[in-house]
Amino acid sequence: MNQSQGGNPFGRLMELARPHKMGYVVSVVLAVLGVAFGIVPYFATARMTIALLSGNRDVSFYMGWCLLSGSCFVLKAILMGISTGASHEATFEVLSEARRESASKLTRVPMGYILNTPSGQLKNGMVERIEQLEVPLAHVVPEMTSNLLVPAAILVYLFLLDWRMALISLITIPVGMLCYLGMMKEYPKKYGEVVKAGNHMSAVTVEYIGGIEVIKAFNQAEHSYQRFTDAVHANANLILDWMKDTQKYSAVMMSVWPAALISVLPVGCLFYRNSSLSAATFITVTVLSLGIAGPLVAAMFFTDDIAKIGTVMGEIDGILNQPELVRPEGKCDLRNFDISLEKVHFAYGEKEVLTGVDLAIPQGKMTALVGPSGSGKSTIAKLIASFWDVTGGLITIGDKSVKEISADQLNDLISYVSQDNYLFNDTVRNNIRMGKPGASDAEVEQIARASGCHEFILNLEHGYETVVGGAGGHLSGGERQRIVIARAILKNTPIVILDEASSYMDPENEAVIQDALSRLTKGKTLIVIAHRLSTVTEADQIVVVKDGKIFAKGTHGELLKECSLYHSMWTAHIGAGEVKPA
Amino acid sequence: MIRSFRKFFEFAGRQSRNWYLGLFYEIIRCIFEALQFAALLVVLDGLVRDHITVRTALLAFGIMLVSVIGTAFFWYLAHGREGEGSYRMCEDKRIQIGNRMKYMPMGYFNSHSLGKLTSVSTATMSDLESMSFVIIVRTLVGVIHASIFSAAMCCFSWKISLIFLTGVLLFMGINTMLLRCSQKLSPIRLEAQTEFMDAVLEYIQGMGVVRAFHMAKQSNTTLEKSIDETQKKNRLIERRRIPYIAAEQVVLRIAGAAAAFCSIVLFLNGTLELTDCLLILVSAFMVYSQLESAGEMFFMLSMIDASIDRVEEINQSPQMDIDGKEQNPERLDIEMKDVSFSYGDKKVIDHVSLTIPQGTATAIVGPSGSGKTTLVNLIARFWDADSGSVHIGGMDVRDYRLDSLMKQISMVFQNVYLFSDTIENNIKFGSPDAAHEDVVRAAKAARCHDFILTLPQCYRTIIGEGGATVSGGEKQRISIARAMLKNAPIVILDEATSSVDPENEAELQKALEALTQGKTVIMIAHRLKTVKKADQIIVIDHGQISQQGTHDELMKQEGLYADFVGMREKAVGWKIKADSLA
Repeated sequence: MNQSQGGNPFGRLMELARPHKMGYVVSVVLAVLGVAFGIVPYFATARMTIALLSGNRDVSFYMGWCLLSGSCFVLKAILMGISTGASHEATFEVLSEARRESASKLTRVPMGYILNTPSGQLKNGMVERIEQLEVPLAHVVPEMTSNLLVPAAILVYLFLLDWRMALISLITIPVGMLCYLGMMKEYPKKYGEVVKAGNHMSAVTVEYIGGIEVIKAFNQAEHSYQRFTDAVHANANLILDWMKDTQKYSAVMMSVWPAALISVLPVGCLFYRNSSLSAATFITVTVLSLGIAGPLVAAMFFTDDIAKIGTVMGEIDGILNQPELVRPEGKCDLRNFDISLEKVHFAYGEKEVLTGVDLAIPQGKMTALVGPSGSGKSTIAKLIASFWDVTGGLITIGDKSVKEISADQLNDLISYVSQDNYLFNDTVRNNIRMGKPGASDAEVEQIARASGCHEFILNLEHGYETVVGGAGGHLSGGERQRIVIARAILKNTPIVILDEASSYMDPENEAVIQDALSRLTKGKTLIVIAHRLSTVTEADQIVVVKDGKIFAKGTHGELLKECSLYHSMWTAHIGAGEVKPA
Repeated sequence: MIRSFRKFFEFAGRQSRNWYLGLFYEIIRCIFEALQFAALLVVLDGLVRDHITVRTALLAFGIMLVSVIGTAFFWYLAHGREGEGSYRMCEDKRIQIGNRMKYMPMGYFNSHSLGKLTSVSTATMSDLESMSFVIIVRTLVGVIHASIFSAAMCCFSWKISLIFLTGVLLFMGINTMLLRCSQKLSPIRLEAQTEFMDAVLEYIQGMGVVRAFHMAKQSNTTLEKSIDETQKKNRLIERRRIPYIAAEQVVLRIAGAAAAFCSIVLFLNGTLELTDCLLILVSAFMVYSQLESAGEMFFMLSMIDASIDRVEEINQSPQMDIDGKEQNPERLDIEMKDVSFSYGDKKVIDHVSLTIPQGTATAIVGPSGSGKTTLVNLIARFWDADSGSVHIGGMDVRDYRLDSLMKQISMVFQNVYLFSDTIENNIKFGSPDAAHEDVVRAAKAARCHDFILTLPQCYRTIIGEGGATVSGGEKQRISIARAMLKNAPIVILDEATSSVDPENEAELQKALEALTQGKTVIMIAHRLKTVKKADQIIVIDHGQISQQGTHDELMKQEGLYADFVGMREKAVGWKIKADSLA
């Protein structure tokens, strides 16, 4: 998605790994040393063969060479082990750093970006995707080194022994390569279909499982099940079909590649016959030729991992390269807490949500934003809280543009209370205390009392020490919301935004909450977004928002008289609710 | 290690036949590959006797050619079977899960269980699909290949053959230890991963709060700790693992060196021909080649193990007995007789008896957590009662086949699930044969015809993920249209607690009125107006019926109902008072 920075994914990966370069250097050096030791046994075998053919019958000579090759193998295994260890240590550091960087990045990107991106997607980027860098970083570095160096070193040795035999021993490689190319030629043709069938299958699966309640309730289990099994069959058939196509080639490739003897033995015989090749060299060459194909095949298995780097890095960079909200540090003086919007425009991507909004929200007064869903009323509130930057126009608080107010200061100015405020998996007490770190237990309880949640908290299993569960999952929606409100009351900021703050509430709880909200907002600049018009009839100013514009504003009485849209909303509301007209 | 293989073949079920056949082909393939020894033998023999002719060269070439062709052919056959074995196995398992879901009780489905089902049948299954083939084939073939090559040495010396076989056995022994170690470590790793995932999700979802309360600046946050913890666990696992991997390599290499030395000793004391001795020297590099290159794969056997466990877990999920019959009762009175029900240890419904005559409206009210939802779910047989019974039309719901029970009942879910399909298909989901006119009639009655006409392709607009966006209230009404078309005589509905826009709310009410016209209605009610109109009000508290009667009857009593009404009236009348602002 974001290719602007860094360019190629491999380069980006290097960039990430650079701070821990030493670990990888150590890893590669050890791997090279390991390879060097790994070559010794081939040499030893050659020496022993020569000795055997020349009639050397000294056991200690052979024992020496066998011990040497044995110990070199052991050394190689140990060095490779340490090398892998070193690359893993470095890689785990790199992964942690990438994660910390993403975490700190998330504190600087517009809040709106986080709200608009499914949290699963951001989590995937930080957890799974970064995890996927482990194989390319930790394994490919040492293992590719040895898998490519071993054949190279053997080849050099072969050329030194007899260049003709060296070439001969390589013959199977191009033959295998041809098969590989043949396979690759057929590969993308069907691979696309396979991917498509796989995606279709998982879409059908997700829908079958996600919709299972509806499917059963509407007696479509057989029909939907059929659709599901069809997709599963199609997927398996297509993959197997595709495998059959490519396996012809890989069968030949995997059989020919390691069969260097097919050329080395007969040609060697001929050279031996015309006396241009000694028996000892012949046998040595034979031994060496067996060591080339294995590592190359192993290296080939890594190409898949390397191919994935692009996609993986892309997703990680999707987070790391997000544009940030630019705000100064430090504190600036504000004359007052009046809020004003001048010709504010805002667009999500292509879609204009606000098209020129002018609005003054005076300090200490209550302003209500009402309007049909999708009208942009919630966006206005979020822009005031700097969830995004405006795409045009200006928002000021106390005559200062919000862009000139530091993020910390703005957070101390505004409490944004919405339906989906979050509770951490911690005790009720600590969740409330977040509003004012350092608040005493007594202070927390006093606030809880004031916001009408003291009683229900005492009824919880462990009272204030009850752990609320992930995202507050152990509490009901209404209970969660009441704690969120208590937290906001404790925070005590001069500006309060209530974005449908009481809408998840059971009616039974609603009265309690709204009473608490009244108290929270005393003397503050208050912005309320409400669905129930009856809750805002006494606002100092009601702003009717429609299609990204301010359609009308005034008091309840004025609007009822002058604004037909407001009038019809009011009628619909009292028709739906049970309130008598005020 | 052997246990992992056995577990896998058991899991493969009927596909294990493919696997066995495939492995049989692999054995033949390895035998063809071992023919290389014959070619080597011919040449070495010639060299030792210094009698190499063109015939020797041709013979060596001929043998190698047969070996390569045989290898390639049986490679192809084996992989064909193994591919079938692995992909068909996953196909079977997927379908098994889908089939099982048909018999899971409706009550079992919640966001947690559905999430798990989805992740198992997509992520876990596709892991298994891609891993099982490669890992099982390469590890098993590694063992088979090494064993056959070791055994082939018997032709020259059983002692040497024994040394090679000992190497294989030691390798497997170490591997078993490695797997046992990784089995011990994998819960630790899994736990660290889960904790980390939770920490990341909490961080992302709580970002608003993190910022509002300056929590990102605090060091040592949960996330920070969790990142470090993950790194520590990863390092621990890697450090434990590397010695085993090194030991595996060492064991094989030492066995190879020992075999070489022994063969020389045997030659020197006259029990082994020089030719055979040379052959063993050369083959020391060949015997373990595939076992070694499969090295890393053995570690991944534990991942297959874990995936299999996850899939098998689904088979532990509850199933409802499926021996009901098609029932068509004449009347549809509902009767609960002394019904009790618990979730785990928690008693939710406690000896409830009630009667709902056909054609009446029953409202169920009560505090949150009192058991309202469970009560209606028992009527629709989302669960079976622990004791007591539920009857519809005089017949126990357990005697109904699920589809014939569902034919009688329409449910309006709180969480509306729409398929990513056209609106038309969504509405006629329960009645695939409905004509377009019927769909329109239902849509009109459910008050969604008008807004559907404003969508780009009207009834053919695709909705759901990736499709056109519709608001929550609109989704609700589409689901009501869907239920209208189904036209079941019993309607169960949960009145939405979260408020929708005022204009949507009024429409929704009208839609619900149309749906429930002349039906037996059971509703979990929140709105006073609908409660008042009900023929019968049932007040639930702590899983028991605390009050029962009409509105007027219940208003005369003191109790929960009168409290509820009082609270409700207060909530609706509440407003944020401007004059309370300073």
